[in-house]
Amino acid sequence: MVEQFQIAAEAVGAIVKRFTTLTDAAGYVTSAVGVTTVAAPNLPPAVRRVLPNLTLAAPADFAAADAGISVARAGIAATGSLLLELSDPTDRSATALPPVHLVFLDATTIVPTLANLAGLLEENLYRPSPVYLSLTTGPSRTADIERVLTIGVHGPKELHILMMEGDASWTRD
Amino acid sequence: MDKGLIQQKLDNTFLRRALKNFAAAYPVARAKAFEGMDFEELRGRIANFKGAGLEQLPALVERFTASAEKAGAQVHLCTTPEVANRTILEIIRSKNADFLVKSKAMTSEEIELNHYLEKNGVSCLETDLGEWIIQLAGERPSHMVMPAIHKNKEEVAELFSRETGRECPPDIPSLVQTAREALRSGFLAGQVGMSGANVAMADSGTLGIITNEGNGRLVTTLPRTHIALVGVEKIVPSLSDALDIIEILPKNATGQKITSYVSFIKGPTGGDGRELHIVLLDNGRLQLAADPAFREALKCVKCGACANVCPIYELVGGHVFGHIYVGGIGLVLTPFFHGFDKAEEILKLCIGCRKCNEVCAARIDIEGLIVDLRDKIRKPFGQKFLFGTLMKNRKLFHAALRTAYLAQKPFQGAGGRIRHLPLVLNRETANRSLPPIAEKPFRDLVETGTGKGTGTGEKVLFYSGCLADFVYPEMCQDTVTSLEKLGYTVTFPQEQTCCGIPARYSGEMEVARDMARINTDVLLEEDADYVVTICPTCTMSLKHDFGKLLADEPVYVEKARRLAAKTFNFSELAARKAGAGSLGPETRGRSKTQDAARSTVTYHDACHLKRGCGVHEEPRKVLRELAGVEIAEMEECDKCCGFGGSYSIKYPEISQEVLKNKLENIEATGAHMVAVDCPGCKLQIEGGLEAAGSAVTVEHSATLVARRIAEVKVELET
Ligand code: SF4
Ligand code: SF4
Repeated sequence: MVEQFQIAAEAVGAIVKRFTTLTDAAGYVTSAVGVTTVAAPNLPPAVRRVLPNLTLAAPADFAAADAGISVARAGIAATGSLLLELSDPTDRSATALPPVHLVFLDATTIVPTLANLAGLLEENLYRPSPVYLSLTTGPSRTADIERVLTIGVHGPKELHILMMEGDASWTRD
Repeated sequence: MDKGLIQQKLDNTFLRRALKNFAAAYPVARAKAFEGMDFEELRGRIANFKGAGLEQLPALVERFTASAEKAGAQVHLCTTPEVANRTILEIIRSKNADFLVKSKAMTSEEIELNHYLEKNGVSCLETDLGEWIIQLAGERPSHMVMPAIHKNKEEVAELFSRETGRECPPDIPSLVQTAREALRSGFLAGQVGMSGANVAMADSGTLGIITNEGNGRLVTTLPRTHIALVGVEKIVPSLSDALDIIEILPKNATGQKITSYVSFIKGPTGGDGRELHIVLLDNGRLQLAADPAFREALKCVKCGACANVCPIYELVGGHVFGHIYVGGIGLVLTPFFHGFDKAEEILKLCIGCRKCNEVCAARIDIEGLIVDLRDKIRKPFGQKFLFGTLMKNRKLFHAALRTAYLAQKPFQGAGGRIRHLPLVLNRETANRSLPPIAEKPFRDLVETGTGKGTGTGEKVLFYSGCLADFVYPEMCQDTVTSLEKLGYTVTFPQEQTCCGIPARYSGEMEVARDMARINTDVLLEEDADYVVTICPTCTMSLKHDFGKLLADEPVYVEKARRLAAKTFNFSELAARKAGAGSLGPETRGRSKTQDAARSTVTYHDACHLKRGCGVHEEPRKVLRELAGVEIAEMEECDKCCGFGGSYSIKYPEISQEVLKNKLENIEATGAHMVAVDCPGCKLQIEGGLEAAGSAVTVEHSATLVARRIAEVKVELET
């Protein structure tokens, strides 16, 4: 399923990198974002620990940040989609405003199709409190001018998926 | 319909090329997106839950409202566009705002929200790239999913230059970048954001929004107040239903497996005084949902596929083929949302090819609804005399057709074809030569020998249809010859009359009902095993329409059902006998009289045969195994030829363009003959080929089988 996910995600223009340790993934993040400021409001503590030098932008400055980092709740193999829980508006801004979006994905959370995600979606949507979930598939795109596919209209122009194949229980912290 | 506007669209080379390219690319992308999935099963499920939901729409609205309110949303059910507009204005004013930043919502076009708000001092910014383009141009969308498909990059560059005050080159990536930068400040400044929704879930009060650009997420995030304008028909019972819609919509819309973003929004998230207002738009929907004859239209999920495959939309675009909602379903929804006066003209633009039905995500009988709506409009647009007086009396009608044989004489050119018809038809049918009415219709030939029903095989009643009877009597003769040779006993009942389709398509339902009664009686009088037709439009009428037309008359309901059960197209009955007898495959290639090139034909699937009757394999079997020919398939073999009965006379300019495309595909195969199973297709294609000076001929399958019989006979004797 990991392969199928990768093929589907790459087919729609996402960059998929596979890692077994968080340290390796952190190295990739550092090389990808360089010394720029990053919108990453709710990173799990484990990620903060391996990336102590990230320059975090304040929510008011997300529009000027160069990249956003988030953690996916699940993946869909058939389409290369990521399920993100974005009930906090700052999480939404972090994943929507910067031109680059990096997402950690626990490979064990990948399901075959959208229908297989019904249980998890229900679990979230049947809670009494307000919820905002997003399925994200590839970078932002448009074909509104002469039907020519163009990447990066309003959302990120690059989507990097950091697929964690080792222990990734930290993604749920 | 404004003929000038139609011509203007037909002459717009960019529009034509854009739509043609899309029409060619779409089926490929769509097929790929659905790979490994059962489309029929998926859309069957959607049709079912949507149908069930619509039957109790008021209850569904209540359930959704309760769930959404429980999650903290404020729900406003608005009966009319005026109420919806006012409600939205009040919400904006209550926030002391004068600016609304919007992502795409067809419902907002429907109620002309921007116009209303601007008049009341609120400026609006469309952020979907296509919507922004048409907002800057001051136009309306020409496609539900690709609103600006009619605009080329030069036009877009000009609009952007004017808007931004700096020179924008007509380069698509840089134009997109310009939009990104120009609209960013709009998102950040927006006090109130507006979206539509593709689906609303009654079980949890969640809205599902499907987008590609990412603007949907921004307008529902940056402004602290979010207004969602949602048609009540978007409400489905549960999340699993919504997932089916999310599964099918992008695939059917643009051939994408899924869009970049699908958002599930339940209640106002983020606390801190954030608000979510859900404006539920009725505008005639609740009334429509209560109407069993037309409620089906509300199953629509607005994927736009019915426009994507429509041969007429491909030629004239959405500004002609629709009103606010475009494509086949646009024709259907317009009378209910915008009034019958707006719909009258556009309803006539459909040629009846049923392509839309084949792809509809909700399995709506779009074409059937279009025809029924013409009846509802009750302003028949056919010839009053023709339908009112003439057709009701079979003898009179047939006598008139016989007289026409004499009247047409002065207009016949070489080869007996009519090159110039009197009166109005003259100019508009210039590109097409019409076959003359035969000196003796088939019904008169029957008396002198054939089709008298002697034999011991299964008993078949031959229903010829008017066109074959009066224009192609030899086609009828060939049908009888082939069926008899194949072992059937064939009779031609003299009392049969027009199937009623021309009347029905012209909105003359009473006449159509008369025809249905007469034919049902005639064709059931004798206890035959089958009724065979050689015109699939007649087949559809006999099989499907009679029952519908006579639904209020219990005696006829039963009769129509019996007739439907035994009515078949020629190719269906013939195919049953393939492989048996002297016309079996073993005789293939034995013909000394045929060279290889002559025995290759290309096949055109008639719309009403393929999509009206679901028949497309049998004709090929008949051609290969009974007529002994090879088939060189053409591109888009099942695309309409542009005939559409009286359509070719009402809209000759459109009909001719559809035909042109067919002729190109035919010529490309190199075949010397086109086989068809419909006299209408023969008339249309033959006329086009002849006018173009082509040597390619057109024959009905029955004729090819009859010829093969004659050849085999000669061979066996020599
Ligand atoms: S039946 Fe054919 S012409 Fe009519 S709307 Fe459907 S696709 Fe278009
Ligand atoms: S009528 Fe069917 S094909 Fe057309 S937009 Fe609606 S769901 Fe799609």
